[in-house]
Amino acid sequence: MLDAKHGGATVASVRDLKVHFQSKRGVVHAVDGVSFDIRDGETLGLVGETGCGKSVTGRSFLRLLPVPPGILAGGSVMFSAHEVCTGCEGTGCETCEGTGRKAGQDRSVNLLGIPSEDMRRIRGDRIAMIFQDPGKALNPTLPVGAQIAEVFLQHRTDELIALAGLPADTVGAVRRFASQSPRLGDGWLLSLPGARAQRRRVEEALATMVAGALAETQVPNPAKLMARYPHELSGGMRQRVMIAQALACNPDLLIADEPTTALDVTVEARILELIRNLQQRRKTSVLYISHDLSLVRRISDRVAVMYAGRIVEIGTTTEVFANPRHPYTRGLMAAVPGADTPRGRLAAIRGTVPELVDPPAACRFCGRCPYETSACRNNDPFLEAITPSHLVACFIDHPAPSGERPNYGRVTA
Amino acid sequence: MHLRDYILRRLMVLPVLVIGVSIVVFTLTRVGGSPIGIYLSHEMTPDEVAEIEARFNLDKPVWVQYIYWIRGIAMGDFGWSGVAAAPVADVFPLKLAATMELAFASGLVALFLGIALGTYAGARRNRLPDHVTRIVAVSGASLPQFWFGILLLIIFWAEIGIAPIGRSDATIFASIAHPTGLYTVDAILAGSPSAFWDAIWHLVLPSVTLGYGATAIIARMMRSALVEELQQDYVDAARAKGLAERIVLKRHARRNALVPTVTVIGLTFGFLLQGTITVEIIFRWPGLGRWMADSVLRGDQATLMTYVLFTSVLFLVVNLIVDLVYANLDRRVTLGK
Ligand SMILES: Nc1ncnc2c1ncn2[C@@H]1O[C@H](COP(=O)(O)OP(=O)(O)OP(=O)(O)O)[C@@H](O)[C@H]1O
Ligand code: SF4
Ligand SMILES: [Mg+2]
Ligand SMILES: [Zn+2]
Repeated sequence: MLDAKHGGATVASVRDLKVHFQSKRGVVHAVDGVSFDIRDGETLGLVGETGCGKSVTGRSFLRLLPVPPGILAGGSVMFSAHEVCTGCEGTGCETCEGTGRKAGQDRSVNLLGIPSEDMRRIRGDRIAMIFQDPGKALNPTLPVGAQIAEVFLQHRTDELIALAGLPADTVGAVRRFASQSPRLGDGWLLSLPGARAQRRRVEEALATMVAGALAETQVPNPAKLMARYPHELSGGMRQRVMIAQALACNPDLLIADEPTTALDVTVEARILELIRNLQQRRKTSVLYISHDLSLVRRISDRVAVMYAGRIVEIGTTTEVFANPRHPYTRGLMAAVPGADTPRGRLAAIRGTVPELVDPPAACRFCGRCPYETSACRNNDPFLEAITPSHLVACFIDHPAPSGERPNYGRVTA
Repeated sequence: MHLRDYILRRLMVLPVLVIGVSIVVFTLTRVGGSPIGIYLSHEMTPDEVAEIEARFNLDKPVWVQYIYWIRGIAMGDFGWSGVAAAPVADVFPLKLAATMELAFASGLVALFLGIALGTYAGARRNRLPDHVTRIVAVSGASLPQFWFGILLLIIFWAEIGIAPIGRSDATIFASIAHPTGLYTVDAILAGSPSAFWDAIWHLVLPSVTLGYGATAIIARMMRSALVEELQQDYVDAARAKGLAERIVLKRHARRNALVPTVTVIGLTFGFLLQGTITVEIIFRWPGLGRWMADSVLRGDQATLMTYVLFTSVLFLVVNLIVDLVYANLDRRVTLGK
């Protein structure tokens, strides 16, 4: 089915996802029937112009959409978390290539349908997210260490208690402290002599775990960094903190929503390398959202091109870049300066993204497409395979139910 | 700059400000009329008036008079209150305690209620609780205090008859010692539940009247600040970590929303102090406010000058505290810049 044919297990598959927004002018179909798979350990690049629905798609995995005005209008996001490798009990062996995990297919859940408590357990643990602007995604009034610590408190309470040298059956205020679920009066309970010592040990264990997470991102002197506030750090440092926080629990899937857009180019290169490194070492799948085509080409295994709430082309990076089939993909590529592009010859796609209020049953690219014909205006193309791993939604490669078929030989506009 | 250095510096500037304030107070009062007006009557001859003026050093140059005033204050002599028929310095602490008790009671209630209401409304934006809070808050900010106070008085004192008036029941009040002058605290120190309840019971109506407006202001501020914070990326980032909505709200959004709210709380303090005058008159509360109202009407300048000087200093101190709390909440604030 769809693009799942190509080898490797899928960690997540999105089917016919529809997210709409109530607005004054009507219902905006921000994401309108998106389907794709993310495989184990791969990086899937999601590209498209601004406003085409990339962020909304990414946020759907974590159900981080403002509802209202957002409406989950349909579809599903199936997610199957990895299981601990039976060969090595998670310590890493040859069968699991040292990751200590194996792909589990049977326990997949629909992220859009599960109760919010279950969603909460997945967030930050199995699926993590990095945001565009690390300056805004970190709380300005908390030290960065305390912010990373929250992930462990939320998802690693047992490990914390073990690391603190406390009995596994520790209960009461100390456990509540180690799971960040304080009750009224806990502050007082924890100040009692016995509890205070235990609390101190939990805090020390927490600091160790946080410093470990930060060390993974190659920051100098992690222990010192923990006490800093976000405004005291550079943009690159902040994004490292975000990455440390996102990867703290070794998630199966990382949603990276333009994580380097706010950074300058040299810092961008280092952050990309860091993400790539960590990802390969831990076999984490990444959905990498960007509008930068050349960047996506460098880091992705596969690429999905999004336009006006739809995926119009998806395939392996090699295929898509060697043989772009959708006129929009070609337009995007022409807009990227290459080594052989003469200066000042950047071809931008004419026109702008259409209003997504009640779109008609036609190709969304109508009005901007140079090859548009009557078939395009009267029918809505859907993703179909041209090779087992390369799908495209355009009547140039697929027969149209009615009207004159477009082709690359004839420019109509 | 270090917090301690900053406090020291601010404290060092304080005397300069106080002297400035004292000059303003002195000048304005002197423009307002003769300080001995309260002792004069129509039958007095010019000679008699001149004699009284000489007795109070009013025949000396103005700046000398100012020096005398300041010297008196430095030695604890704030002058004679014609209204209280006693030295200002003797009466002031008692009246101050009564007013402070009232202001603190309503201030505390306004603070907690305002923040709680604002958080509640802000977290449920555009839903029913938000609308209800808005109505309560807007009416609170616009109802005149004298009207609201009298309304409460009519309902609970005159009609239903369950609420008392004044500050205390005279016999219960006399039954305990008053080391602090704060009736509630004295009652606790004396270990007398009946006195404590008497104190609280008398506080309810005046502090509701006084605190309603401040609650409204704080709640509105808190609500809009929280709504703003909840739209920030870090809130979504906190949710993306798997935090419970309760933690996202309390630990992340509310804490940041408190930063702008604290500034308003500082201003609200002035609002409260101003309100004590009306409220004390309505509820016959024996505090500074009522004393001041009488003093204004009868030209009791020594009392007025002390009051204005005192409230100005109080304001300076409250502002310092607000700045410190502010800096403590928001680490991006660099002190002393
Ligand atoms: N909170 C919201 N309220 C209303 N409409 C929204 C909201 N968020 C997104 N949308 C709608 O969804 C569309 C897609 O938004 P999205 O943020 O996913 O775009 P994007 O592809 O990530 O763009 P960019 O490259 O600018 O980040 C927008 O054009 C907008 O109409
Ligand atoms: S279907 Fe028609 S309009 Fe749409 S992209 Fe293909 S050629 Fe262009
Ligand atoms: Mg976006
Ligand atoms: Zn293994």
